[in-house]
Amino acid sequence: MPSELSILVLYGLWVMLVILMPVLMAMPQLGLGYLVSPRDEQRRLHGRAARMERALANSVVAMALFAPAVLIVFVSASSSTGTLIAANLFLLARVAYVAVYVAGIAWLRTLLWVTGLLCTAYIYIAAL
Amino acid sequence: MAQELLALGLAALLQAVQFLLMAVPANRELGPGYTMSARDRPPSREPSVFTQRMRRAMDNHFEGLILFTIAVVVVVQGGQSSALTAGAAWVYLIARVAYIPAYAFGWRPGRSLIWVVGFAATLLMILAALIQGLV
Repeated sequence: MPSELSILVLYGLWVMLVILMPVLMAMPQLGLGYLVSPRDEQRRLHGRAARMERALANSVVAMALFAPAVLIVFVSASSSTGTLIAANLFLLARVAYVAVYVAGIAWLRTLLWVTGLLCTAYIYIAAL
Repeated sequence: MAQELLALGLAALLQAVQFLLMAVPANRELGPGYTMSARDRPPSREPSVFTQRMRRAMDNHFEGLILFTIAVVVVVQGGQSSALTAGAAWVYLIARVAYIPAYAFGWRPGRSLIWVVGFAATLLMILAALIQGLV
């Protein structure tokens, strides 16, 4: 099973992909000219591109919480089977979260979000 | 201290500067009465274009900074630090500093290109650590 730190790196790469997705999906709606401008007038995305943008915002919050948890486990050398499983499950849940968000599946998206949050919370508690 | 860690510390300080670049004009324009309130209603006056640009530049750097932190940690902890990763870390920092005037003056497509440089530098560090770790 990949280590917590490997999972954090993989999640970082995943978020980088999720950063690019709404930009690519926004191009037909907003145009490249708007995207490279300072965006002083707020233009809203709609449809799947807007879902992707919201999924990204949520993914960044999850990353900001997950990264310190993994670093604490790493620095304090308190890795265990539990933290390994939690980190791996976190990645699976968060990748599925984005796909489910874009597909617009209610309840399952929230369930995946809760799974990711509980995994992160477990790692913090385990490190205590 | 590893060059990458030094760049990371400076990038975090940069974010504090970016906060001030947004917060100081926002308080002058909206008044501390509004900014210190619970902000239940939108402000009666719009913040200036500069202030709004500085807010977007700061919001953008939050994303970049978290990813850069992961990149620096994985490079340094795995002992994968090299001239390439150190160079990429400094390129990241320079790009993120340049991103501020790029947003303030509305450089186009300069702002987007500068963003791509910072993004690519982060990606390069992560991939370098992964590939050197595998080899």
